[in-house]
Amino acid sequence: MSYDWTLWLTFVLIGALATTLPRASFIVLGERASLPEVVLKALRYAPAAALAAIVVPDVVLVNGAVEVLNPKLGAAVAAVLATQVSRNPWLPFAAGMAALWLLR
Amino acid sequence: MSPSFRAGAREGFRTCLPVSVGIIPWALVTGLAMVGAGFTAVQAMGMSLIVFGATAQLGTLPLIVAGAPLWLIVATALVVNLRFVIFSAALARPLAGASLPLRWLCGYVLTDGVFATTLERLRSEPDADWRLGYYLAPSLWCGLMWQSSTLVGVLAAGSIPRGWSLEFMASIALIVLLVPMAKLRPMLVAAATGGTLAVLLRGMPLRLGVMVAIVGGIAAGFAAEHWQARRAGP
Repeated sequence: MSYDWTLWLTFVLIGALATTLPRASFIVLGERASLPEVVLKALRYAPAAALAAIVVPDVVLVNGAVEVLNPKLGAAVAAVLATQVSRNPWLPFAAGMAALWLLR
Repeated sequence: MSPSFRAGAREGFRTCLPVSVGIIPWALVTGLAMVGAGFTAVQAMGMSLIVFGATAQLGTLPLIVAGAPLWLIVATALVVNLRFVIFSAALARPLAGASLPLRWLCGYVLTDGVFATTLERLRSEPDADWRLGYYLAPSLWCGLMWQSSTLVGVLAAGSIPRGWSLEFMASIALIVLLVPMAKLRPMLVAAATGGTLAVLLRGMPLRLGVMVAIVGGIAAGFAAEHWQARRAGP
């Protein structure tokens, strides 16, 4: 697969609008601005909801259809189990990739 | 550089050293995953320098590979990064003494690890120069560790066959991030709702389903927290 110049546009937009702007927001604005409590509370759930919305379709869909018994889901389960049995940061990757290759 | 900036920098560096070592596997994996997604080494390092955020990079990779529309990719990255708005708000007072360009720099280098490790001291330390050193030095150091380890991952990926599905490393990385979050009940509800809706709504045009799923997940988490608090009594 190869990409054209729009990939760089994607990087710049992700970097500027979606990463640096939220990071710099209040540090740059200083103490002049603040967010309502309700918004702060709701924002706490954004990462979990978003990560799941990306990763779940990725592991349960095969060519656009739900397939519960597929190697990617097996690999995901292996990775989750690995996080539970050890604090070793490499283990989930080793277990997940090993499961993916074995189940294929 | 004032002596108190340097003293703060030394202290911050010492405090964050373990965090900066923890970055290495993430950066390696992100490097491998970007090459797995079909990026050249230059494109991968470009993304790493411009975006400089593991979650945004790993989270957008599957969307970029799938050819999702640009707005969706950017909006998804923004949502996973919304936590930084909260971090930024917490850092506004400790870093208020710095110049405007320095505050932009402080924003660019803001990472979860340094934030979590330094916030306590930043809140209690009275010397503004010391605080700036204490925050900025480990943040820059972590940035350097991130970029150099990513480069190692990118270069190493070239010698690994395509059939090994390295891009799946991105999915594993996202799962590893999700697991500790899901230990809190409302967080688990948010994640389960977001994940389920994303699968159910995959047929929506322009991949709008992902956005609806995220908003639904946030609402569900928020509602679950509310019910939990009500059940616990006033």
